[in-house]
Amino acid sequence: MIRAEALVKHYGNKVAVDAIDFTVRPGQVTGFLGPNGAGKSTTMRMIVGLDRPTAGRVEVNGRLYREHSAPLREVGVLLDAKAANGGRSAYKHLLSIAATHGIGRARVREVIGLAGLDSVAGKRVGGFSLGMGQRLGIATALLGDPATVILDEPVNGLDPEGVRWVRTLMRNLAAEGRTVLLSSHLMSEMAQTADRLIVIGRGRILADDSIGNVIAGATHSMTRVRTPDAKRLMATIAGPDVGVSVLADGAIEITGLTTEQVAIAASAAGVVLYEIASVSGSLEDAYLALTAGEVEYRSSNTAGTGAHE
Amino acid sequence: MKALENQRVTAIPARDRLRFVGVLRSEFIKLTSLRSTVGLLLAIVVFGLATSAVLGVTVEGAGLPDKPSVGFMLDQVTVGTVLFGQLIAGVLGVLVICGEYSSGTIQSTLIAVPARGAVLAAKAVVLFVVVTASALVAMFGSWAVTYPMFAGFGIEIGLTAPGVMPALIGGSVYIGLAGVLGLGIGTVLRSVAGGVATVISIILLLPIVLSVLPASSLVRNLHLLSMSKAGDAMSSAPDDGMVFLDLADGYVSSGAGWLVAAAWAGIFIVMGTIQLRRKDA
Repeated sequence: MIRAEALVKHYGNKVAVDAIDFTVRPGQVTGFLGPNGAGKSTTMRMIVGLDRPTAGRVEVNGRLYREHSAPLREVGVLLDAKAANGGRSAYKHLLSIAATHGIGRARVREVIGLAGLDSVAGKRVGGFSLGMGQRLGIATALLGDPATVILDEPVNGLDPEGVRWVRTLMRNLAAEGRTVLLSSHLMSEMAQTADRLIVIGRGRILADDSIGNVIAGATHSMTRVRTPDAKRLMATIAGPDVGVSVLADGAIEITGLTTEQVAIAASAAGVVLYEIASVSGSLEDAYLALTAGEVEYRSSNTAGTGAHE
Repeated sequence: MKALENQRVTAIPARDRLRFVGVLRSEFIKLTSLRSTVGLLLAIVVFGLATSAVLGVTVEGAGLPDKPSVGFMLDQVTVGTVLFGQLIAGVLGVLVICGEYSSGTIQSTLIAVPARGAVLAAKAVVLFVVVTASALVAMFGSWAVTYPMFAGFGIEIGLTAPGVMPALIGGSVYIGLAGVLGLGIGTVLRSVAGGVATVISIILLLPIVLSVLPASSLVRNLHLLSMSKAGDAMSSAPDDGMVFLDLADGYVSSGAGWLVAAAWAGIFIVMGTIQLRRKDA
């Protein structure tokens, strides 16, 4: 359980996190989304006390992080894959962290095995690929068998097997009743992993809801049809709330009516349909619609990326 | 992995709590698991022994005393360890903390140990003990290596001679304190380059600059309160019946040297602690 109340962080004049409130609950995977510079990493750093909030507070399992008698047992964190000295072996790196809490060698070897690092545990971290660095970071996060797991961009640089491993791991941790907070820019991955989403932009919460509600709230579902008789169909269904757009390939996208209503109208008018499908927005559509005005660093060719209107 | 209730209430085994002894062990593992830091520890021993060996072999040209002299022996035996050791230890101290910032390890460290004062305290204790131990090996090794060489001229001095043990131990403690000084400076500056430059300035340059200032002799004699002067005092045999510290007369007793060196190291550790606590990691 992570609870933030009126959490604020300023860096000089820049407001990184602007009075946000949120709760991350146990038993589910909560996705933390937002453009670069939105305040995700800053928020995560404040949760574990690396950065001090300018105002407000954030508690983990009912207390400030630093007030726990065994912080690593409460929270496991991956913030930066390569938060390890390149000259030290993965095993010694993990052992040095484990030693602070009296966590034994057996557990160190266990998380090394869990992360698939057995063959490179004795090698120096400096030679690790980004993916191996991520695995080491995840192994570090799991070291204390924590009740809450916070992972910032854990699948960056992982191979497909690793991506699936992280997804399964997150799902299993949540199923065991743990609190899982996960940030990622990979929307398809997030859609498969998260139950709940917190979307943040320019330091403010834009959405905090179940993944289904976030998508439904930020996108319109629509009906796509193909017909040789487009004009007649459009005349039949025309109405004040009905939007129709014809795509380049001839398909027609209709908003404001359910798929059933479109099918019944077509049937009544004797219009032949080759294809009729219900199309709902993707998480990516929802995310881009939510953050359209909040992007701090925007590339120039992103015009028209909003959700379907 | 064991299943957990939604709200974790299970008692954590006492041995799995965050404890200072664990933080000490963690810092020891970190210090001894990098080639760079182990290399610098070895360098203290190697430079100390090598210098003494060279001085011992060429001792005839150094103007031999008529009879066995504790002062002469200590000069020959301690100079290499003190001169090189203070700089190596200072650089090592800077690396111990700045290496964490440059590699990002500081994040892992502070997440595991949110009590930042405890992190720096553990680093200081481990560094002091390990560096002092290396310096002790260098000092006593130097005595052992040169003993037969001095014996060849009939001027050998045993470890039990008055003042020998305090000087060898005091000189080693000084090297340990120089390491802690470097750690404090590194924590304040968070930069390897800046930290190393500052350590060298304080240990080597400051006393030279102070002693040639165009000011009153009293101001110039402030160089007696410098780190390296304290090191000279600590690695010398204590004189009985002399004053503790006399700036006008230019005298620093070994006891005063201990205090001065500890103060230098302590001031920077305190500044480092304040900095580490106040700033975001």
